[in-house]
This record gives sequence, structure tokens and C-alpha cells, in this order.
Amino acid sequence: MPEPSAQAASRTHRGRLACLILLGIRGMAAVHANPYVPARDDEVLAHLPPGAAHTSLPIRQQAGARLDVALPLAQFYISQARATGDLRFLGYAEAVLMRWRGQTPPNPDVLVLHATILQSRHSFDAAVGELNEALRARPDDAQAWLTRATVLRVLGRYDEAGASCVRLAPADVILAQLCTQSLRALDGHLKSAYTAVRQLPLQSLSNAARAWRYSELGEMAQSLGDDSAAAHWFLEALQLAPDDAYTRAAYADLLLGEGRAAETLKLLDGRESMEPMLLRIALAQQRLNDPGLTQSRQMLASAFAVEEQRGEAVHRREQARFLLDVAKLASAALSAAQDDWRVQREPADLLILLRAAQAAHQPDAAAPALQFVREHGTEDVRFAPYLGRSQ
Amino acid sequence: MSRPGAFFVLSCVLAVGSAEAHVASNGFLDVEVQGRDLSGSLELAVRDVELAVGVDADRDGKLTWRELRASEPRLAGYVLQHLSLRAQDQNCEIHFGSLQVNQRVDGNYAWLPFTARCPWALRVLQIRYALMDGIDPSHRGLLRLTAGTHVQSAVLGATDALSTLAVDRSSPWRTAAQYFHAGTQHIWSGIDHLLFLLSLLLPAVLLRRAGRWVPVADGRPAFCSILKVVTAFTIAHSITLSLAAFNVVHLPSRLTESVIAGSIVVAALNNIFPVVTETRARIAFVFGLLHGFGFASVLADMGLPSGARLISLVAFNCGIEAGQLAVVLGVMPVAYALRRLSVYQRALLPWGSAAIALLALVWFVQRAFLPA
Repeated sequence: MPEPSAQAASRTHRGRLACLILLGIRGMAAVHANPYVPARDDEVLAHLPPGAAHTSLPIRQQAGARLDVALPLAQFYISQARATGDLRFLGYAEAVLMRWRGQTPPNPDVLVLHATILQSRHSFDAAVGELNEALRARPDDAQAWLTRATVLRVLGRYDEAGASCVRLAPADVILAQLCTQSLRALDGHLKSAYTAVRQLPLQSLSNAARAWRYSELGEMAQSLGDDSAAAHWFLEALQLAPDDAYTRAAYADLLLGEGRAAETLKLLDGRESMEPMLLRIALAQQRLNDPGLTQSRQMLASAFAVEEQRGEAVHRREQARFLLDVAKLASAALSAAQDDWRVQREPADLLILLRAAQAAHQPDAAAPALQFVREHGTEDVRFAPYLGRSQ
Repeated sequence: MSRPGAFFVLSCVLAVGSAEAHVASNGFLDVEVQGRDLSGSLELAVRDVELAVGVDADRDGKLTWRELRASEPRLAGYVLQHLSLRAQDQNCEIHFGSLQVNQRVDGNYAWLPFTARCPWALRVLQIRYALMDGIDPSHRGLLRLTAGTHVQSAVLGATDALSTLAVDRSSPWRTAAQYFHAGTQHIWSGIDHLLFLLSLLLPAVLLRRAGRWVPVADGRPAFCSILKVVTAFTIAHSITLSLAAFNVVHLPSRLTESVIAGSIVVAALNNIFPVVTETRARIAFVFGLLHGFGFASVLADMGLPSGARLISLVAFNCGIEAGQLAVVLGVMPVAYALRRLSVYQRALLPWGSAAIALLALVWFVQRAFLPA
């Protein structure tokens, strides 16, 4: 028998699923199939992204025999998944690594790549487990320490994340500082961290690391309430790494917050297939009374419904925001935000929980978030309106 | 969740356009049960079909309806290899209708209707779902199972194991009845368990005195002896059956099956060259532990329906006991009646036991040494 709380959770989950299914009902929903026979033989049913054709099978098979093929191939699939949001690529990467997992002794490269897949699926605890194992095998693996720091940060375990940042120093002292300061920004030292990161020397950093620095600066500026500086940093980051979905979404939020809906649509044009982007598009369409909203809304609801059916909601934060701001279903949004908070503790998770609790008139539901803010001295101008009223 | 009005407003407009959202790879399996017949559909994303069987014949990166249709026989073959539907451990034969296309949020799907006929009416549906195996381990089958008015859903393919679903969830007793029946069937068809028990019971109507068999004076000692043996056997196999059914302990079937055959040899030889006479219940207990694993392998093939695991296990075990009891009640009164005849003491018991021992020895050699 499941525990009572688990039963309750499963009830709210089912309720939310029903909402999502209903919201998406005409939009190719999960409920009814409307199969048809295409009228024309040459009707194109699907376009294959690079790496997803059956002609890729021989190289995948080769990856089963050769680790030097498997590692770059898995890396390629993971980068495809990141750049396009296409989650199938995570599965392809997993298949390529499958044969090499569970080896004795474990191969740290395989473990780190697999941890990255788990991280992308928001299986954060499992990712930390794989990374710990990788680090037992290779204690100076900078990539493993960096990924570990990132995952622990998402989990809100700042002390452990900080310890991981320190271990980066032998490989790259600047990167280690960037890692540490980004954590301090979340842990009650926002202003001094912002200054410190701005003063970091750029020369030794790779483009990817520079883009990361700009993105962190953008987030810090946003937390400080300096939106114009934040916009500047986000644009710098996107220039270096246009495929960085996280930064693009953050910049889109900034634009939406300033009421620049038309610019948001322009920023996200062509990225509708990524749910986090589609959510921001829907929010902008809503602001502009754009007729495209109906379709965006149905697609989001259907996609979230399928995720819920699978029982692994990768985009639960977005789902909560969708339910709150687009579907206007505050109590469903709150249950999604609570589920999200159980898994991840980034500022955006905190914000959606605070907002949903207020909208649903359940201030008690925000208690874990408030506790977190008190514990870490989190500073963010966006939290202010909710903190005052709830405390 | 109390704003039904909103749903209607939101759901009135048809979705158009070709935009797609990215979700992980899913297959949609829709099954409706009617007696011993299944009907439904399987949907796989056209993109997934490409990886499974190869669709893009001209390799232009565009999958057309012509290409998909040309791959239909390969797709059907692939599905038959990677998906099986079973009713109480017997395969249902799947027949596909003609392929169509269904639009979903993450693109177009190949929609494959099917019917399937099972050997008997479904109480428990078992599904082995291994589509996209080795290609995309994150692929899942999202099942929607309809039986009458009852609809249930499940996620398939997360592990290699068979998914077992009670079709008639409204009545766990019907499921239990099914498992009870399976238990009785097993003791009848699983003759090795019966022969073991009989080998221990045949001498229960006799006593060993000074190197000779003498008949018991009245029913009382015979009854006590039978009761002890049967009880010991029952308790022992119930323990291991439960442990194995809930995956606490697992032994390789080759080992258990061989030892079960060996246990019959030992029990039968003990009647010809008596070593243990007064404490046969101990033999029954020790070897009963292994027979329990034998029962468990049958149960593992059937699977325990989620939601009614314990009751099904108990029912299966009761079925075994009932079958066993029927045999005891059928055979032992006859043995009791014949106990004073020398043909029972001198021929039936030793030669019968010898025949049993020989048969079991053959099983033992087969199970232990010949390739499976």
C-alpha cells in the first residue's frame, strides 16, 4: 500500500493530467486518435534531423564495439538534444552508452556522459550518484566536478556544490572562481558575487565559459533588479552560444517582464518545438492577443499531458507556469509547482511556487520556499512582493 | 480544479499547422478486451519507425507516405517480434489491419490497428513491450486498456519484465479464482510434486517394526502421519513460493528442477531401503522448500497482477493445496484399505516406489545434465 501522502500526490497528479488532457483535447491530444490515410503518396510525414536516420544504425552498432566511437557519438547526441530540445537524442545517447555502462572498473567518461543524460532528464539524484562514481575512479576529472557542482546547485545543495567548485581549481582557477561566485550569488552574497564575476579575467576562458559567465551575470543583474544590465549580459551570452536554451529562456522572461512581447516572439522564432520556448511564446501571444495562442496552448497541454502519462515530467516548472499564467488554473499550477519544488530548487522554481501559492490562496504551500529563502538569505527583487505578504 | 467553463472555451478551435513539440519517444498502445478477443491500435512515431525498420528509402531525410507504406510489412514483422500479448501465459495471435497515420503533438505517427485472439477469456493480460529496444532505451509504451467500462493505463517497457494487468479489476475475487484454478491445474499437471508426496505417504498406513512393514492397527496413527507430512510439505513450499513470488529469493530453475527430481528419488528409495521412518515429515519439509521454488516458476510465467498480488498468490497457493488434498483423499483411503494385504507391503510399496525412483532418476539426469 502506498503511503497516504503518496496517494494524495497521485490523486493530484491525476487531476492535473485530466486538466492537461482536456486543455489539449482537440490539439492532437493524448485521448483520441484521428487516424487518416494521407491523400497523396508524396505527402511528407516527418523530417529527419541529422543523426536520426536509420543510416546511422551502423555507426551506432560500431559504438557497441568501440569506446572511441561511442564517446563522441554520445556527446554528439547530447549536444543535439541540448541545441534542439529533442529529447529522443538523449535516448540515442543512452543506447550508445548502454553497452559500456556497468563495466568494471567503471569508465569515468561513460559515467560523466551518462550523468549528463540523467541531468537533462532532471534525474538529479541519480546524476550525482554517477558523478560520485566517476570521481572515485578519476578524482581530478574537472568535467565531472563541474557537472556535479551544477547538479547540486539545481538541487539547492549549495555547500556541496561549492566544495565541487573548489575541486575545479587545479584544472582552471578562473572557472573555479566563476563556479564559486555563482553559488555565492544564490547564497546571500549577490552583490559581491556580481562584482567578483564582472572582474574575472576573460583571457583564459573558452567561448563556452565566457558565455556561461555572461549568462550568470545576466541572472545576477536580474536578481538585483538591473534589467538593462541583465539584457546586455544575456545578449552577450547568446551571441557566443546561440543554442543555449537556458539563457534564451531567461532573456525571454526578462523581455516578458518588461512587457516587450513582440521582441520575445522574435527572439524565440523557429524554436517552437522546445516546450520552454513555446511556453514563453504562448505568454507573449497572450499579451499581444495573437491568434496563434490557441495552438500554442493546445500543444503545450498535449505535450505536458504526455509527459505526465510517462510519469517523468522534465518540464514541470514550465507546466506549473503554463497552468498558472496561460490556463489560469491556480490550484493545478500549485500542485505542479510543489512537485517541481520536490525535485529542483532554482530561483525560477522558487518563484513559481511563491506565485502559485498566492494565486491559489494557499500561503502555507509556500512555506518550504520561504524556509529555503530564510536559510540561504536568497536575494531577488522578484521574490519581494511574495515574501512580504506571506511572512 | 473547478472551472469546467474554461475547458470548452479552450477546446473549440481545431489545431492546424505543422508545428511540433519535442517529447521523449513514446508508443501508444490501445487495447480493448472482450472475452478472449482483443482489438486496438499501436502507434509509433514515423521517426521511430524509421530507426526500427528503415523508411527513408531515397535517403533524402523526408519520410513520405509512400515510403512509410512500403515499410508496412517490415513494421508488422518488427512489432510481432517486439510486442506480445498474453492471456494467462498463453500467447494471443495478433493480426494487423492496414496502416494509417495519426497526428500527435510531436509529429506524425504510424497507426497500426490490430485484432488478437487469445486461447481463453482474459482475466489477466500480460504484455511484453520491447519496441525500440537497443535503439532508444527511453522509449516507453503508454498503454490504455479498456475492459467493459473499466479503463486503466500503464507505462510499458521501462524494464525487460512482463507487465501484468488484471483485466477485471472490479472483482479481485475473479482474479483470485483464476489463480486458484491455475494452482490446482499445476499440481495435477506437475506430476513430480505429486509423486514426491505419494512416496512419502504410501508408507503412512504402515509401521516399520524390526526391519519389516506392519500395518497400522487403526486409522489414527495413519491419519496423524499423513497430516504431519502434508502439513510440513505445505508450510515449506508456501514459504519459498512467497519468497520467490515477491522476488526476495531467486534460484536458477535448472537447480530447483533437478533437486526436485532428486527429492523424489530420495523419498521413493527411502520406502525400499528405509532410513527415515518415523520422521518423514522432516523430509517433506526440507524438500518442500525446493518444491516451492518449482511452483514459483509457474507463477513467474503467469505474473502476479498489480493491485492484486497478495490475494492472487494466496489463491494460487490454495489451489495447489486443494489439488494436493484431492489426491491425498483419493489415494490414501485406498492405501488404508489395502494395508493388511501382503501385495501392498511386498509389491505395491517397494515396486511402486522403485518405479517412481527410476522415473525420477531419468528426470534428474535430464534436468541436471542434458542441455535445456
